[in-house]
Amino acid sequence: MPPLTYIDAISRGMWEEMERDPSVFLIGEDIGAYGGAFKATKGFFEHFGPKRVIDSVLSESAIIGAATGAAVAGMRPIVEMQFADFVTSGFNQVVTNAAKIHYRWRIPVPMVIRLPTGGYIHGGPYHSASTEAWFAHVPGLKIVAPSNPADAKGLLKSAVRDNNPVLFYEFKYLYRRIKGEVPGTDVTVPIGKGEVRREGGDLTVLTYGSTVHFSLEAAEKLSKADGIETRVVDLRTLLPLDRDLITESVRATGKVLIVHEDTLTGGVGGEIAALIAEHAFQDLDAPVRRLGALDAPVPFAPTLEAAHLPDTEKIVQALRALALY
Amino acid sequence: MVITAHAAGKRASGGKLSNPDRLELYYYMRLARECDNAILRLYRQGKIVGGAYTGNGNEATAVGSAYALEKDDYLFPMHRDLGAQLVKGESLRNIFLQQLGRADSLTCGRDGTGHYADPSLRLYGNVSHLGAMIPMAVGVALAVKLRGEKAVVMNYIGDGGSNAGEFHEGLNMAAVMQLPFVLIIENNQFAYSTPVRMQYAAQKLSDRAAGYGIPGFTIDGTNVSLVFETCRKAVDRARRGEGPTLIESVTMRMHGHSASDDAAYVPAGMIDDWRKKDPIDRLEKILLADHVLDEESKKKMESDIAAGIDDAVARAVESGYPSGEDAGEGVYAP
Amino acid sequence: MARIEIIMPQMGESITEGTIVRWLKKVGDHVNKDEVLLEISTDKVDSEIPSPAAGTLVEIVTPENGTVPVRTVIAWLETAGAVAGAPLPAAEPLSPSAGPAPAPVPQGRRETPPPAAAGRFYSPLVLSIARTEGIPLTELEPIPGTGEGGRLTKKDLLAHVASRKSAPAAPSVAAAVSAAPGPVALQSVDVPALRAKYPAPAYEILQMSNVMQKMAQHMVQSVQTSPHVAAVHEADMTAVVKHRDENAAEFEKKEGFRLTFTPYIAEAVISAIKKYPLVNSSVEGDKIIRKNFINLGLAVASESGLIVPVIRNAEEKNFTGLARAVNDLALRTRAKKLVPEDIQGGTFTITNYGVFGTLLGMPIINQPQVAILGTGAIRKRPVVIDDAIAIRSIAYLTLAFDHRIIDGALGGMFLEEIVQNLQRRDREWKI
Repeated sequence: MPPLTYIDAISRGMWEEMERDPSVFLIGEDIGAYGGAFKATKGFFEHFGPKRVIDSVLSESAIIGAATGAAVAGMRPIVEMQFADFVTSGFNQVVTNAAKIHYRWRIPVPMVIRLPTGGYIHGGPYHSASTEAWFAHVPGLKIVAPSNPADAKGLLKSAVRDNNPVLFYEFKYLYRRIKGEVPGTDVTVPIGKGEVRREGGDLTVLTYGSTVHFSLEAAEKLSKADGIETRVVDLRTLLPLDRDLITESVRATGKVLIVHEDTLTGGVGGEIAALIAEHAFQDLDAPVRRLGALDAPVPFAPTLEAAHLPDTEKIVQALRALALY
Repeated sequence: MVITAHAAGKRASGGKLSNPDRLELYYYMRLARECDNAILRLYRQGKIVGGAYTGNGNEATAVGSAYALEKDDYLFPMHRDLGAQLVKGESLRNIFLQQLGRADSLTCGRDGTGHYADPSLRLYGNVSHLGAMIPMAVGVALAVKLRGEKAVVMNYIGDGGSNAGEFHEGLNMAAVMQLPFVLIIENNQFAYSTPVRMQYAAQKLSDRAAGYGIPGFTIDGTNVSLVFETCRKAVDRARRGEGPTLIESVTMRMHGHSASDDAAYVPAGMIDDWRKKDPIDRLEKILLADHVLDEESKKKMESDIAAGIDDAVARAVESGYPSGEDAGEGVYAP
Repeated sequence: MARIEIIMPQMGESITEGTIVRWLKKVGDHVNKDEVLLEISTDKVDSEIPSPAAGTLVEIVTPENGTVPVRTVIAWLETAGAVAGAPLPAAEPLSPSAGPAPAPVPQGRRETPPPAAAGRFYSPLVLSIARTEGIPLTELEPIPGTGEGGRLTKKDLLAHVASRKSAPAAPSVAAAVSAAPGPVALQSVDVPALRAKYPAPAYEILQMSNVMQKMAQHMVQSVQTSPHVAAVHEADMTAVVKHRDENAAEFEKKEGFRLTFTPYIAEAVISAIKKYPLVNSSVEGDKIIRKNFINLGLAVASESGLIVPVIRNAEEKNFTGLARAVNDLALRTRAKKLVPEDIQGGTFTITNYGVFGTLLGMPIINQPQVAILGTGAIRKRPVVIDDAIAIRSIAYLTLAFDHRIIDGALGGMFLEEIVQNLQRRDREWKI
């Protein structure tokens, strides 16, 4: 199979799961004949028909609520939010219904909500937000955030097969920017397991999604320029976090930088830092450092957006400071 | 008991209420009210913790509507719809286990009151954000349609809940997709303490149906036969694939929002006026006049109901609370 | 005339490249403003691209069917007049690192580690490694740190652990006198009465070692016996440092061990005692016992605690002899080969806390002696000499003395004599 872009890997994953399981269907805005705002479902409507690919009314509450109900009734819906930002309009359905049903009723809610997320695309405050931290606080949800085509496909398949609501954060910045080999039809990537993308004995970066790539670039730069070797961990799943890999990575280097493109305050990085403080305190050789976006909406103008979001150079600087500690 | 035997067989064959049907409606309304009374007693005895939400005045709406459903239809009731839950087949034992938060309850004590689901009966209780139930119930109707099944989903909302955004969003989606969905607004004059005149400006809540391009009806919610007949029409329409119906069933909440609300905000005389239209008394008079019910069978029914409730309560009280160790269990499905 | 660029537009937030479907104009053709110039195709949408200005198409960079990243220049247009406004930017870099200039951050690693600092912070990891390796705080303190502000990093400590394990004992006087102590084997004990008051795991109950108990006894006894007074003088160690630097290599070749500062200080002290012998005394009742020999004690932090081995009859030794004696004690202390006489009968003690980075200390007299000299770390400092500022190697020397028999005058003069001995450039440190 030739290498696929990140978005094509997601499409391939959905296609395979729909072929495999007739209870899987898609619902979202403009996903039918139009193929979706990002064309993730291009060709699906023609192949699977209107009962499997549902163009819905413009109402995130109705879409997520209906998907929740369908899941309770035994279907396996995949919801597309046009942008992750818009999930706020369906927030109540996610946290009040989907997340709590199994705890209260012992009825599985097998559904996936796909959320095209993040900045670096000049989308401004309402097309660039990172919303994962709001949901990371909600028991009953799972959250995945793949950084490459293989994981995107493998995690999508795992999410579809999972019996819980899974929020699938897909990074718009990566959609057509990266390509990679993807595994075959039966290969899934387990939810809850991170992966070490680069080994290094001096520092550890814990990150996910778009910033995995910037972190890898930063690690290479630091290796060449300063001889500092950085381990880069791609968390892949944000809920539940891969606690074993996180503590093992703290042990491996003693110095940790957490990077995400979400804003800093209340971000997932804070939870990871707390987890390290609780479970790996004696392995720390430096305070846990975090690098996130400014505590502000994602701005529109390219200069402002670049200043707002983490990037390779900012990660290099943060790592250097950590190395010197 | 004859009533139960009837419930197992056909209800309202051909859309018409037979005498046994009417007797059964009467029985379920009585049963619902006596259960509510028992719940209030248990609450005042400190055996039910948290809150107690009952449905005195709502019996005809709850029982009459659910009576229009078939076994394979889905019911999404609210906290004042004990009658609907009983009609759908829920056992007294499960209802009291649930009210008492016991380990053996359908939610294992993780949620209270009517917030349970019983998938074996296709019965799914409410969440406290009542409007939030509507899109989800619509989603079940969507699944039914996608699978080509013939089932109908019946869902309830209050005069207050009808103002939540999800009422509009869910009902609009159901209308656009022509889903087998019936939404009943139980207009019982108050949303907690807020009277209807402060909740909406429409003449009737059923006027809203026009905005979704679906039929809407406003009916006397104390007349169980009328409730049944209206709902049966809506259910039949839904089953034919013609889409949803909105029914406003007007009645009165004959007490406070919960057992801890004295309803002092209800204008003087309003409760007394509505008591004259008590749904159970209304049907009882007719059944007595029609000789479908007599004093002897009424007494027998009353004592059977009391015995059934006493037994269920006793067995529920005996059942223990869940172990605190299990508080974190079941958040995720395996 | 102005030349303006035609770029591949970004047709959607996620779109990174576009393909030229058709050029509607040939090179040399005139095109009006907003007239369709070409058609493109992207993953999301196909589109006609209008010309940004009126002019002549002078160059097509990307031919039909060519695929290029968004914002790449695909053609050039020549216009009649000057172009209003700034030209569009060329292709953006892939990695969004544009933005305001980064705040200055220290680059790379420090070349020279700052010296160890006393009372410094240890990270949880450093402390847990120290615990696992059985390294007490006193041993951590002298290890130079390469981290921020001289912090001891994990790497520093692991390097120390490795050298501690692998390196054969280098015969260094400094190591002996300053000897980073090994693990003080403090055993956990369970004393029910104490355990009730200090429950585990919040508290640990440890048995004091014999050495520690003796130290405690001695120290308490000393401060109860002698009214301590301390005097601090500044010693310019530049001459000593210079002499040592110049002679270290030859000395090591000849003697087989490293030349340290200790014999310089010992020599200065012995010489000063000869001038002020009352300092070399002890007190019994109302009698002073003045000693006509000098048994010079050197305080050493050892594996089992504080030990003060003694150079007997130090007054008889020349500089090299002192150096050899110091080294001999160092080797035997480390090898635990000290005999009881080695640590008895001292008449005056030197303690060099400077190796721990301490600048200024207040030592406690080693009874029954009546004075003790503490030497602080040698640091380069700007000092005023003849109204000019010079860089000199400075150390603070503290003399703690027993005011029962030594008053401030004697203490000050004795200490100043030591300072002068160290500062005399013409002094013969005969090697």
